[in-house]
Amino acid sequence: MAQLVRSGEATPAELVDEAIARAQRVNGDLNAIIHHLVDGARAQATAMGSGGDTDAPLEGVPFLTKDLMCSTEGDPLHDGNATLRDIDYRAPHDTHLATMFRNLGLVNIGRTNTPEFGLTITTEPAAYGPTRNPWNLDHSAGGSSGGSAAAVAAGIVPIAHANDGGGSIRVPASECGLFGLKPTRGRVSAGPATGEAWAGAAIEGVVSRSVRDSAVVLDGISHEWPGDPYSAAPPARPFATAPETEPSPLRVGICPTSAWGAVHSECRDAVEAAGRTMEELGHTVVEAHPAELFDDEFFDNFRTVIGVSIAAEIDALERSIGQALELERDTRAFVELGRRIGGVEYIAAVEWFQAYTRRMAHWWADHDVLVTPILTEPPPRIGELRDPIRGRDRLRELLHFTPQFNVTGQPAMSVPLRWTSDGLPVGVQFVGASASEHMLLQLAGQLERAVPWAGRIPPVSAW
Amino acid sequence: MGWAHPPGLGLVTANNRHDDATALIARLGAGELTPVEAIENAITECERTNPSLNALIHPRFDAALDQARRPVEGPLAGVPIAVKDLGCEQAGEPHHRGAAFLAEIDWRGDHDSYLYRSLTEAGAVSIGRTNTPEFGTTITTEPAAYGPTRNPSNLGFSPGGSSGGSAALVAAGVVPLAHGNDGGGSIRVPASACGLVGLKVTRGRVSTGPRSGEHRGGFAVDGMLTRTVRDSALALDVITRRWPGESIPTGGMQPWSELLGADIARLRIGVTKGRCHPDCGDAVDAAARALETLGHDVVPDHAPEAWFDPEVTDQTIVMRTVGMARELESWEARIGRPLTEDDVEQSNWWSAEIGKTLSGTMYVAAQTWLRAWARRVASFWSACDLLLTPVLGAPPPPIGHLSDPVEGPGRLRELIGFVDQANVSGQPAISVPMGLSAEGLPIGVQLVAASAREDLLLAVAHQLEAADAFAPLSDLDLAS
Repeated sequence: MAQLVRSGEATPAELVDEAIARAQRVNGDLNAIIHHLVDGARAQATAMGSGGDTDAPLEGVPFLTKDLMCSTEGDPLHDGNATLRDIDYRAPHDTHLATMFRNLGLVNIGRTNTPEFGLTITTEPAAYGPTRNPWNLDHSAGGSSGGSAAAVAAGIVPIAHANDGGGSIRVPASECGLFGLKPTRGRVSAGPATGEAWAGAAIEGVVSRSVRDSAVVLDGISHEWPGDPYSAAPPARPFATAPETEPSPLRVGICPTSAWGAVHSECRDAVEAAGRTMEELGHTVVEAHPAELFDDEFFDNFRTVIGVSIAAEIDALERSIGQALELERDTRAFVELGRRIGGVEYIAAVEWFQAYTRRMAHWWADHDVLVTPILTEPPPRIGELRDPIRGRDRLRELLHFTPQFNVTGQPAMSVPLRWTSDGLPVGVQFVGASASEHMLLQLAGQLERAVPWAGRIPPVSAW
Repeated sequence: MGWAHPPGLGLVTANNRHDDATALIARLGAGELTPVEAIENAITECERTNPSLNALIHPRFDAALDQARRPVEGPLAGVPIAVKDLGCEQAGEPHHRGAAFLAEIDWRGDHDSYLYRSLTEAGAVSIGRTNTPEFGTTITTEPAAYGPTRNPSNLGFSPGGSSGGSAALVAAGVVPLAHGNDGGGSIRVPASACGLVGLKVTRGRVSTGPRSGEHRGGFAVDGMLTRTVRDSALALDVITRRWPGESIPTGGMQPWSELLGADIARLRIGVTKGRCHPDCGDAVDAAARALETLGHDVVPDHAPEAWFDPEVTDQTIVMRTVGMARELESWEARIGRPLTEDDVEQSNWWSAEIGKTLSGTMYVAAQTWLRAWARRVASFWSACDLLLTPVLGAPPPPIGHLSDPVEGPGRLRELIGFVDQANVSGQPAISVPMGLSAEGLPIGVQLVAASAREDLLLAVAHQLEAADAFAPLSDLDLAS
């Protein structure tokens, strides 16, 4: 799309108008975009003129931001919460990330749906209702970046902002048939309001249809900002060069099953097929995984750290708006848990995280990539994860593979390599050692050429 | 009593009592002495000076000599070092952290830390572990468990802390390099008090593994105390090795020692003296003049607006007290019994008692506040390359001054105020010797750079040293 702008075949304003028209066609079915920022987007696009003489690699490309973090001054920031919706809370400043997206030339045409505070893997907030999967409207688009994923999958925009504290980039990418890379800890600044999110577990990124789009964006958003508490070492070569170059032969461990319960045959098959493809591409593939992947103490510590982080975040938000927030039942329970945890217990859990990270890292001394399912099942139906009786059990049944790498800070990606017999997408997770995004993007590009997905168009689409 | 420089070694500074590590490595390389002789010399010096200093508390002379007989190739091959008895664990060696309850049971490390491995795999040979205040929580080195370490320049005075044992040994010329760590000035303060170069690195630069992913909520980092800037750079090359499973990413790794002596652009350097003793102010002025003479652009009374925000202290207390409570709790689990008020020094005990009462959300809120503060001050370094400040608000205090259970805490508050900021923000900072107090005690000044810019600190410190701007050391005050 940026090439259309550079070659003069389309102006940024025309692209924005086209994206807005596409949103009008499908958003009623999807409920992906919840705040339209049409005026601002048109003004930004018009100011770009014809866009022919720019250095910005994605000049004029329409874009969406998730309504959780990545705020822009004066625009809504409701975090999927009913109280923030009711008072129409507006962000006090641009985040560094929003500035970096703008510097890439991306034009933000709206904000997308998120579960309340991004706390689950489906996008069905009480405040804004469910986002639906363009591959089948009865199914979840995944979460927490489900609004962004549904909008990209349906062809409204090619790339949208997402963030990932337990799988929230990878899960919706998987469920909507997109590419989604969670970068290494410290790769993307969380400023200016904060140093890190969820004790470093959460990080910003995007979901996109093509690998190269994610790569170009990653170059643009991986600058260190003053006051960042830490920052990942920059890559030796730009990420944008990775997808078109072949990776060197990789030592791959595949893990199609879980020690914590059953994995659906479609998800297992997806991993095994990915293993065979990688073997054909010249990589060394064995069935192997780090024992730490299924450490039984993991989720208790995860709940402690994230519970305290969310409770502290909500305390601060309530102080800043001067009123208590109305919270969904599950959020309320989680916040109450977080408020009960002592400081000493919190530090002990963070120390557990760090020791876990050390233990996990040893596996990558002998391997380059771990391949696993994203979830244990294909996309669940709308309502399953919000069921008052079965919902929490369903979450535990589905989420076995992604949050471990939020804790270790390793880069991990979902690649859309399989569609079920019912036509629902199932992604495969690839995890590299810390700071190995360049290699992951090479591998993703190689897989994209070997098993292309660009031709797959969902039933609900704006094309 | 002074020390003569060994002839013909081209030592670059006036304050060398003996060879620095770089010179020693050259002599070892030329065959002027053997690795065993280098260790024997260190042991001899230690035996002569340590009874006065009380700096080395766990000697490992026989083990060091054994190591020297089986030399390891590497950038620090054959160099005698010492290790602070807080962190930098060694398998089978004492690890008492200045704590009486660990001294009583002679607690031993059960593994070599990554940092210790980095040092020994580079060829360095530790002659033992050095004194520290209990858990390193103050800026003098006077633990009840091991008694006070004394300043080699004047035995009635503190060598600073918490890395005071290491600083005293390096200043006395026993070893050219010694390990320290800095969670609130604990490398820079003893470097200042003993006339050494003390670099606190960027957060995440030196591995805290394999036991942990960070020290003290990210405040504390490990490093080395040295007599020369080139040794600081050399040591940094060795200790900035990445190990598996680091929780804190860092960038900008460089061959630091190769950068020294390269041309430096004209730098813009802000100066603040805050509220400090005239002797400390004089040291800052001396540094400012020297930097100007070197061609840099020195801006008086220019610091980040929020640099002295008093709320920084309040928020760090939240993190530190919870951290102390966690430290005691984790030791209870490891030694298998509850700790009582009698086991722990009063200030640390009460810190932990407060910490136990604070919630997780208060801890996270404090950390969030401090990280937002770090952002507020960081923009200063977009327009300025360095900040120049005192290290302490007054010259090194006498032994007993800060450890007084009643008056000590108040006196401590008057002295600090310049060092904690870099621990909170994670920025690198260095202490270099620029003055002398009326009692003949060394006084350092601090330079603070933007995150990951140790290169600037080392380059400027090297310029000052090469221009002979460092303050000369007073004679050693050792009963011999």
